[in-house]
Amino acid sequence: MAGEKGSEKQLLDTPLEFIRDGNQFLKKCKKPDTKEYFKIIRAVGIGFIAVGLIGYAIKLIHIPIRYVIV
Amino acid sequence: MAGLRLIDLAKPIFTLLPEVEVPFEKIPFDDKVVYTIFSALIYLFAQFPLAGVKKDAADATIKDPIYFLRGVFAAEPRTLLEFGIFPIVSSGLILQLLAGLKVIKVNFKLQRDRELFQTLTKVFSLLQYFLLTNIFIASGYYGVDLTWVHIFLLNVQLNGAGLFASLLTEVIDKGFGFTSGPMIINTIVIATNLVADTLGVNQISVDAEGNTEPQGALINLFQGFRAKHKTFLGGIVSAFDRDYLPNLSTMAIVLCIGIIVCYLQSFRLELPIRSTKARGMNNVYPVRLFHIGCLSITFSYVLLFSIHIVAFAAIVLVGKNNPSSLVCKVLGHYEMVNNILAVPTFPLSMLTPPRSLIGGILSAPLSFIVYPLFVLTTGVWFAYRWQAISGGSARDLALDFKEQGITLTGRREQNIAKELEKVIPSASTTGAGLLALLTIAGELLGLKGKAAGMVVGVAGGFSLLEIISMDYQQTGGDSALSGVLGTPTNF
Repeated sequence: MAGEKGSEKQLLDTPLEFIRDGNQFLKKCKKPDTKEYFKIIRAVGIGFIAVGLIGYAIKLIHIPIRYVIV
Repeated sequence: MAGLRLIDLAKPIFTLLPEVEVPFEKIPFDDKVVYTIFSALIYLFAQFPLAGVKKDAADATIKDPIYFLRGVFAAEPRTLLEFGIFPIVSSGLILQLLAGLKVIKVNFKLQRDRELFQTLTKVFSLLQYFLLTNIFIASGYYGVDLTWVHIFLLNVQLNGAGLFASLLTEVIDKGFGFTSGPMIINTIVIATNLVADTLGVNQISVDAEGNTEPQGALINLFQGFRAKHKTFLGGIVSAFDRDYLPNLSTMAIVLCIGIIVCYLQSFRLELPIRSTKARGMNNVYPVRLFHIGCLSITFSYVLLFSIHIVAFAAIVLVGKNNPSSLVCKVLGHYEMVNNILAVPTFPLSMLTPPRSLIGGILSAPLSFIVYPLFVLTTGVWFAYRWQAISGGSARDLALDFKEQGITLTGRREQNIAKELEKVIPSASTTGAGLLALLTIAGELLGLKGKAAGMVVGVAGGFSLLEIISMDYQQTGGDSALSGVLGTPTNF
């Protein structure tokens, strides 16, 4: 009986400990300030859109090919 | 060398498979950029429509069963890359995990073993392409009553494309490009899909009368103003809530997810370090929250994909998708929705994110518990294991520190590993947990794989950007791109 209770407690403890651990880590983390954050979003955003537009242009080529071979 | 090891199985095939040679000398920065981007663009171009099958899936008895998994593996339905890079990613991840957990015995210090391991990975992925292809053909996904010629041609197309894709990723992996091949391909394909889903102008017929709507959600809003088959107000409403093509609300959620990932990406714990050789050289060493990047999500989705494919094979090939057969009673069966999707029923539906929030809560409440739990636990478990076996573990970092002659400020040199051991596992597991939560939140809102795709895409794009800008600072001084990128400065 005692052993069962122990394992039950352990089962509950692991996620709780994980959450506590994670919270502690997040508190210690350095977060980006607004200026840095906007810089990152701009860089990632521009990269994403630029690459996406090129990729989409390539995909548009597929449409006529689809009509030819199918 | 007692007994036969799994990697020895790759020996006879070793010489048969085509392979990319490791570059002779260091590739200059500009060439690396070109190799990186062009490999991904070639992959995009290779998403050719399959020859020999009908364009629309009208006569197939089985529709797309893995629609919500495609976003993570750059898989496009009814094209050469039907399965995307799933076989490559899954065989790479799973074999490396097994090797790290010492299930497969590989001595990574020996070059011969490394080569064999690489060949084994490739063989394993080609095998998966072959199996997936034939499961899909046998299921009737490409139409019923295919002739032998048809089946042979489909096999040639799909497996050939698989081999091609694996060589393409190898080009980047072997040092011609930045970071890893699957990641680049994923990022660029996801970026493309994002642009296509918001700004795409290609018209897709949406009903029997031949009315068409554009793929892009934003374009659809404007085109809805003058469409004949909708009222003005109905056009606006449908731009936000159509469920057969991307709508504006899902695109807004996807963008939000991307922005949140960007925010979380720059979380880092800065450990103060100093040089052991020169005095007064103080600096910080950042341990990032996403220590292992988005691999945890990829791993969860590899598992989901495998489970769904095995279940799909069992249900359709053994149970004939007949609700009264035994297999279908145990696993559930598939229902065709909107004429494009095959949606599993209970109990397989528990591992399927719902197609819409409200409808999902009403019809399949259990999938709101099981699916999140699955993604969360597998992601965190993987993160915990992976940080210990990949090159970024506390022990490896301590060795790096020693080699570079740096140490943590205020700690003795012998204790570095112990000190890092406190930080790195919690960083990777916490990061994996947060990424999983974000993915789950997006998926439960009914994004059909776009949320997971966006998480993987943005995280990949971010690390790509970081590595490129680092390389640029170090070696890009005489780059021809410096006109575009500016002089090398701190990013």
